[in-house]
Amino acid sequence: MANLKDLKIRIDSVKSTRKITKAMQMVAAAKLRKAQESAEKGRPYAEKMRAVVANLASSVTNIAGDNKFLGDGSNSKKFLLIVATSERGLCGGFNSSIVKLAKSRIAELKNQNKEIKILTIGKKGKEQLNREFQSMFIGHIDLSNEKNITIETARHISTDLILRFENDEYEVAEIFYNRFASVISQIPSSYRLLPVSVNEKEEDASNVSFNFEPDEDEILNEIIPKSIATSIFSVLQENAASEQGSRMAAMDNATRNAGEMIDKLTIDFNRSRQAAITNELIEIISGAEAL
Amino acid sequence: MTNKFELNVISAESKVFQGEVENVLVPGMSGDFLVLPNHAPCISSIRPGFLEFAEDVSKKHRYFVSGGIIEVINNMVSVLVDSAIDGDNVIKEDISAIISEIDVKLSTGNIRNRDDLGLRKNDLEEALKQS
Repeated sequence: MANLKDLKIRIDSVKSTRKITKAMQMVAAAKLRKAQESAEKGRPYAEKMRAVVANLASSVTNIAGDNKFLGDGSNSKKFLLIVATSERGLCGGFNSSIVKLAKSRIAELKNQNKEIKILTIGKKGKEQLNREFQSMFIGHIDLSNEKNITIETARHISTDLILRFENDEYEVAEIFYNRFASVISQIPSSYRLLPVSVNEKEEDASNVSFNFEPDEDEILNEIIPKSIATSIFSVLQENAASEQGSRMAAMDNATRNAGEMIDKLTIDFNRSRQAAITNELIEIISGAEAL
Repeated sequence: MTNKFELNVISAESKVFQGEVENVLVPGMSGDFLVLPNHAPCISSIRPGFLEFAEDVSKKHRYFVSGGIIEVINNMVSVLVDSAIDGDNVIKEDISAIISEIDVKLSTGNIRNRDDLGLRKNDLEEALKQS
């Protein structure tokens, strides 16, 4: 059995670790609430934007024909995978689950002999993917200076994406992130940003033919960059909420484990102390008997 | 008889306005236009300028919007804007900032719709005078 002093030191160290994880859990809980709130605030805009784009896209295919932003991407050769992860670690499987999903997609595309490019958002994903796929990297977006994600950041990213799209660097863009299902459940998901798929019209608009001003093509060229910025914005917001949720769960676990460890070490500590006392007593008694 | 319709003004970060209004004056990309009840369905992009609407004769609102899109469908009007500032709180600096942004874009030169931007700049300068 380890000696008393060592045990005492270990118990103290686990206790201070528990304090840290407990604090991190509470900070994550507070941040999670904030992230959820701002995600909810942005939702009406994103939903409406999606509806307008759907209405537009379906009208355009009826009348005008092809817009470069529209399509189903089925015959594309060049793929851009955008992997959105967090800037910080200690959040359970949050980052590795996204990276895992992205990796499986990379493998799938490689099998089909597609050209793959990778753009990462957030340091952690970059670190994990850099090891294997360095040659595919075309960029990295650093969010470490952004305390809260703003629409400006998203616009910045989308402008960059569209510029690359227009320069023919890729034909299909997919973004990987963690969808926020609930506080304890985050689902790694992917979403195709470009080209915009031509869906059915919204229900309430199915029999309506719109007047466009200026014409459809021009509106599309105006609105699609906006809708991409909005999509990126909501993806980043969901990701931020998921990160905090994941961190909260991970830290809750860590706190509980630390508690269990402290209990176990305390029992060990008490046993050793008792053993030492008993030993001393036996020595005294046998010493007395020997006289 | 209904002489009002539903209006939603939504910016990327929050809901700006939701309610029944009598009319909306929209700074459309190819000119201002007024939306009244039973307006034909339309989708139009918006240039930076003032969005004005009246809940009734006495209750009017005025927002400075920095561009966006409007959808009119079955007496449901949705205005999606990049940002909206209450007309009374418009700060000239804000508008000036947008103007200088456009200036930068104009000077970089790789813009296809130079004329558009130039027009937009004129609009903004007009708005600056109004506020």
